[in-house]
Amino acid sequence: MKKNKKELIKKIALYLFVIVLCVVILYPYFVMFTTAAKDRSEMYALEMTVLPLKWKWSNFIEIWSAAPVLRYFLNSVFVAGGATCVAILCGIPAAYAMSRMQFKGKTVFLGLVIMSQMFAPVVLLVGIYKLMTTLKMVNNLVGLILLNAAFNQAFAIWLLRGTFLTISPEMEQAAKIDGCGMVGALVRVLLPMAAPGIVTTLIFVFINSWNEYTMALTLMSTDTLKPITVGINVFYGFNMIQWQYLFATSLFATVPVIILFLCIEKHLVAGLTSGGVKG
Amino acid sequence: MKKILAMTLAFSMVLGLTACGGSGSSSSDSTTAAATEAATEAATEAAPAETEAAEASGDKLALDVIISQYGNYTQDWWSQFEKDFEAENADVDLNIEIVSWNDLYTVVNTRISTNQAPDILNIDVFADYVADDLLMEAEEYTSDELKAKIIPSFWNANEMDGTVWALPILASARALFYNKDILEAAGVEAPPATWDEVREACKKIKEYDANIVPWSLDISTDEGQAAFSYYTWNNGGGFVDADGNWALNSAANVEAVEFMKELIDSGYVTADPYTETRYPQQDAFAAGSLAMMLGPCNLYDLAPDINFGVAPMPTNGGNASVQMGVCDRLMAFRDDEAEDPEARTAAISKFFDFFYDTERYSDYMVFEGFLPVTTDSGELLAENAEQFQKGGGAGEGNSEYFATFCDMLSSCNFYPTAKAEWNDVKQGVINAEQQICQGEDAQSTLDALQDEIMALAQ
Amino acid sequence: MKKNSGLKKLAPYVWMLPSMILMAVMILVPIVTVFQMSMSQITKAGVIKGFNGGANFKAVFASNTFWHTLQNTLVWTVVVVGFSTVIGFIVAMVLNQNFRGRKIVRAIVVFPWATSLIIQSVIWKYIINADYGSLNVILMKLGIIKSAVNWTPGANAYFAWECWIGIFVTVPFVTFCVLSGLQSIDDTYYEAAEIDGAGFWRKLFEITLPLIRQSLTVSTVLNIIYVFNSFPIIWTITKGDPADRTHTLATYLYKLSFYSGRSGQAAAVSVIGFVILCFCAGIYMILSLRAEKEDQ
Repeated sequence: MKKNKKELIKKIALYLFVIVLCVVILYPYFVMFTTAAKDRSEMYALEMTVLPLKWKWSNFIEIWSAAPVLRYFLNSVFVAGGATCVAILCGIPAAYAMSRMQFKGKTVFLGLVIMSQMFAPVVLLVGIYKLMTTLKMVNNLVGLILLNAAFNQAFAIWLLRGTFLTISPEMEQAAKIDGCGMVGALVRVLLPMAAPGIVTTLIFVFINSWNEYTMALTLMSTDTLKPITVGINVFYGFNMIQWQYLFATSLFATVPVIILFLCIEKHLVAGLTSGGVKG
Repeated sequence: MKKILAMTLAFSMVLGLTACGGSGSSSSDSTTAAATEAATEAATEAAPAETEAAEASGDKLALDVIISQYGNYTQDWWSQFEKDFEAENADVDLNIEIVSWNDLYTVVNTRISTNQAPDILNIDVFADYVADDLLMEAEEYTSDELKAKIIPSFWNANEMDGTVWALPILASARALFYNKDILEAAGVEAPPATWDEVREACKKIKEYDANIVPWSLDISTDEGQAAFSYYTWNNGGGFVDADGNWALNSAANVEAVEFMKELIDSGYVTADPYTETRYPQQDAFAAGSLAMMLGPCNLYDLAPDINFGVAPMPTNGGNASVQMGVCDRLMAFRDDEAEDPEARTAAISKFFDFFYDTERYSDYMVFEGFLPVTTDSGELLAENAEQFQKGGGAGEGNSEYFATFCDMLSSCNFYPTAKAEWNDVKQGVINAEQQICQGEDAQSTLDALQDEIMALAQ
Repeated sequence: MKKNSGLKKLAPYVWMLPSMILMAVMILVPIVTVFQMSMSQITKAGVIKGFNGGANFKAVFASNTFWHTLQNTLVWTVVVVGFSTVIGFIVAMVLNQNFRGRKIVRAIVVFPWATSLIIQSVIWKYIINADYGSLNVILMKLGIIKSAVNWTPGANAYFAWECWIGIFVTVPFVTFCVLSGLQSIDDTYYEAAEIDGAGFWRKLFEITLPLIRQSLTVSTVLNIIYVFNSFPIIWTITKGDPADRTHTLATYLYKLSFYSGRSGQAAAVSVIGFVILCFCAGIYMILSLRAEKEDQ
């Protein structure tokens, strides 16, 4: 009896904690949503309300014509997707080498990889712009992909190396004996086994690139090439701030990432279980 | 050997895929499939960018133009401008970028650092560019007709060391905007003309309805120097003394900044003067939750729903009321590597003649709601602004508006932007205002600023 | 045969080549530029004039704002990383329990991480505004407060809010790193401990913490770097105002570079930040190498 009571209290405490947690996390999104559905005139009204006096759903439609929002979205998808691919494709062999091979300077390389993370893009802005000018990649989505991929390289290598380390090399040896080359062993044996960890890395890199702002801001000046994080600034402009459009667009910008996340949540947790972030 | 070959192949595939894209959800065990899919997507996505680049590198003379964003529809107007201009001047390829004021300095500065300065730039400052010898002299590209129609005081405002370096693009006048209904309901008979009346009016409004913010103050990094001008000029002080030398720590200035602090401490202004720019304040004024604000003339159009009036800025100590004018600029950068400098200058010249064309320029002024700096457009708009449309379909222009404010403009004070230390002064006074309003001693803070600026000036 | 072994030695480097090329070009080149700039005279408009020795560093060290900013940066990093780690750990422990709706809660926890920092910052700026912000409205409607509260009366209050937003967006990352560690722990450990009569705390300190050490280290190290260099939150909320009291190094150098026209000094600040991080990384490397040796 007593134990049951204790269990019950524990359960209640757990649910209370979870509820508070969700309320705190969802609060800004609630504000974003209600504000996005308000009429502009309600934004600074004398009598403020929590919910819109009149739900103005048309805001969610108007944004698509108020600015090339769809274009911004496609750019973001392209940049984040591209950066993810490049980061993974470059990261896998590097992580493979670092987890499976012994060679001189391994520690130094790992150290360099971490060091590369120590300058935030904002710090390197002028340098980056200069470089992209030389490469003729200013106002170029591919340039942005390469930059994002590079700045996420360290992250990718770290995560992938951790995943590979948790997988016993014996299977690959067996595959090699069966006549597979090194590449074959990697592609046919290791990668499928490391799939969850790779998915984790994909998500991390994708989210980071999707949310990148400073580099895109300085490099992408052509309106039709801007990703959504920068493009959204049109509603945060000179004469007035269009809060309702800003937040409506922000919601749209957040949703794909969350859906993407939900889709692979199962993989992700499994990936993390397999020690995806083991250093 | 075979291994190495296979590896190299694998890597060349990776490297060749630099232009890869695709959905991030592509699962790992099908990297190759994802890659193919991505490559096709890349091809379609990158296509518009490439064609654009190809166009720019043609035989045409390309002009990079950076225009600052004045409103929500700035992009629309300039896109049309680009089309019209190129239709008339087939040999010139205009590349107009609209940059928001938030990012303008970042973009311009980065581009100058990397030798990618635009050909034509629209911004508020120019002294730093002159100091680095980056600008062309205005006389080089300004046609006689154009020069003749620019209001002389605006032409001269861009002079440094006897040379004019930029053209005025548009102006704006600042004055006191007040909500007639609120003032009346609170028992304030006339808009405040002195600081004492401001105090009294604020007190009455606060007593009438605590939800209404009586007065506005913006001392943020965005435009804190404007507040400095409003209060120091109307207290007999200012940035410079009668001889044009920096005089930031005058007694009048100290009193003016202390007045700002008093407004904050009394709770008469919006709660976030340090970080909130005037744009939300304008919206609050337009929504009727802010009673009075020292604001720009285009507030006239932004507040259609309330009954408001415009009055001169309140003054202190019997000084005459001084209104503030703001003037932004257009300037052309030198390009010593230009293949054909003469053709380039001619193209820039054409750009300006095209822009300042009476009809087109008047149209832009109505579109953005700013005041013209040319005599012909000033006259046209004061009488017949109704023939032009405001941006975003907000209706037609208003002649009365242009008549009132263009008239006011002639007696306005402007920032001393032509002095070399202006940018440091601007950042310095904002910082000083914030320090003083946070409790630092006004006199010593302004003294320190003055010393710092004088040290720079030497 | 001999030739083959030579190639074998080379193989790891070939495998790492694409990654290394990518990083060298896209990151190393800009880093070199920053070092160069930190020792150059740069005009206000941004023209790079030439070598000027340590003048930029001297000017930076002579500025009071820099020292205050440095202090802020340390507070910011320690507070945000510290609180995020503790909170993230607790959240992960909870999410590791079996309860109804766990899947949904897990998805919700990801929200702050999936939203761009700019948007997060803008929305929080809107929430805490005293005049029209949503927090006051909701608290007043709920009857918790009577009249509008000014949530940001001064620099410290702003900074506290910024730290809160920093924590808010960092917690999910920690949570998922820890969760991964937690899920890889075999239940038999706990069962064995329970038979031994171990309580909650003993299990926590003797099983959980040691076993998720790796995950925690990774998330902490990465967080220190990211938070230290974090830019959008502070820039959007205060731009370092009032009176430059809420800067961290990242926003300070941005303002120096793009508002005050002092790119040389800004580059010097970058280098100083880099040196600080390298110092921390050095300590970490020594510690982790030692730990790795112990493990072997």
